[in-house]
Amino acid sequence: MKTSRIFITSLLNEAVGVLLILAVWAGASLFYPPYIIPSPMAILRGISTFLPVDFAHHLLTTVFRVAAGFLIAFGIGTLSGVIAAILKLNNSLNSLMVALQVVPGTILGVIFLLMFGIGSITPILLVAVLTLPTLAINTVNGLSKRNLKQEEYLKTLNCSRWQTICYSFIPSLVPVIQSNLSLGVSMAVKVVILGEFIGSQDGLGYLLNHARIMFDMKEVFFYLLVLMILTLLYQALQSTIFSVFFRKFYYQE
Amino acid sequence: MAADLMLEVNNLYKDYNSNQVIRGLTFKVHCGDRMALFAPSGAGKTTLIRILAGLEPLTGGNFKLFGPEPVILFQEPRLFPHLMIEENILLPYRIRKSPISNETLREYRQWLEICDLSDFTNQYPYQLSGGMKQKTALIRGLLHHPAFILMDEPFHSIGPASKASIINHIKEANPEITLIFTTHNVEEIPLLAQSVLFFKTNTLSFSANLSVPHFQSLFSESYFQPKAASSTVAV
Repeated sequence: MKTSRIFITSLLNEAVGVLLILAVWAGASLFYPPYIIPSPMAILRGISTFLPVDFAHHLLTTVFRVAAGFLIAFGIGTLSGVIAAILKLNNSLNSLMVALQVVPGTILGVIFLLMFGIGSITPILLVAVLTLPTLAINTVNGLSKRNLKQEEYLKTLNCSRWQTICYSFIPSLVPVIQSNLSLGVSMAVKVVILGEFIGSQDGLGYLLNHARIMFDMKEVFFYLLVLMILTLLYQALQSTIFSVFFRKFYYQE
Repeated sequence: MAADLMLEVNNLYKDYNSNQVIRGLTFKVHCGDRMALFAPSGAGKTTLIRILAGLEPLTGGNFKLFGPEPVILFQEPRLFPHLMIEENILLPYRIRKSPISNETLREYRQWLEICDLSDFTNQYPYQLSGGMKQKTALIRGLLHHPAFILMDEPFHSIGPASKASIINHIKEANPEITLIFTTHNVEEIPLLAQSVLFFKTNTLSFSANLSVPHFQSLFSESYFQPKAASSTVAV
């Protein structure tokens, strides 16, 4: 009961942002013709006319690619951030990741397309490579703000390195992990669309690209709405999990 | 005062760039000594405690410890926010993998009662006041009967009534303890200390190691009087 209440509260919090966007969108649709910005209601009414029969396949393909690419980025990014924080290589990691961030996604997408061809690998790798630097930087910066006074106290108890990790690093890592899960997935959703634009024949990005070429703005806005709702559900879910199971790691001293 | 030496500080120097905080400091602490370190704010009391705890390198001189490594009580409680009060207090046992005996539990409950914390063991630090957190840190530091403890302003946010009963309990439960504590509150000194390392200047250099009655008489004669505040205390 309590968990479901937390989930609903998280969902409502996330929904505020979506409702604001919907309001701006609805407002903008009053000033532009439907072939440029269709209203949200017009889209809901016309779903049956443009929704492809294999929509579920496209949707699940995109979700799979986001999950796969994000998990690679999350694993490598978080781990490299933790290692850099432990070895005090914060600046080196930051420099490396900033250099990686400069590479344009479109160029990288074309390179991956030439290397791996059309399919899932290109969008997955694109998500992994473009999301990883943000997660690594977020991890190392988050851990650098951990409470060093507590570590000093642990030192006076002659704590082992492992005990210091358990009592200082891991508690500081929990909010960083949540931030990575939130930030990373939102970013991964954007990048996967780019990847599917460039090197795929299925997925929501492919459908978006097709609709864009056909100037079918109802379909374009519908897919954007689907992506937004999926992200909202995900954010509410992860927020609930952290509120229920990891709340104590957010307490202040 | 026991004769065995616990700590010997010889000609200690500490600089922070061009700022000399400790200059040629020399003193001795014997087993069972309870020594107050009384100096103006910013004189380097905390720096000295940190040096003796091995947390700060020294610039010159040396010090020798003849007993076990000292336990340190910091000016801030340094509790772990994700651990409950009980977990925080018993953390040193968990870290050292020491068993918690029934006797320890009895003493733990006694400490809780003295510190009015019995009803708060399942709370997190953020749910407690500053004074309660400080008391928690005191219990954590003293529960396992350290032989030697360094305390930096240990009672600074604790009210006078609680302070008196805590100090009495420290003396009762740990009659053999050797301790050095810093303070800028002169009333704490006769409650806990047997001797006072007294510094008049903003640099810890020449010190007078006084008995508490001697310190009290000097203090009341010269230090409290506004006109005589800048005069040198005769030792």
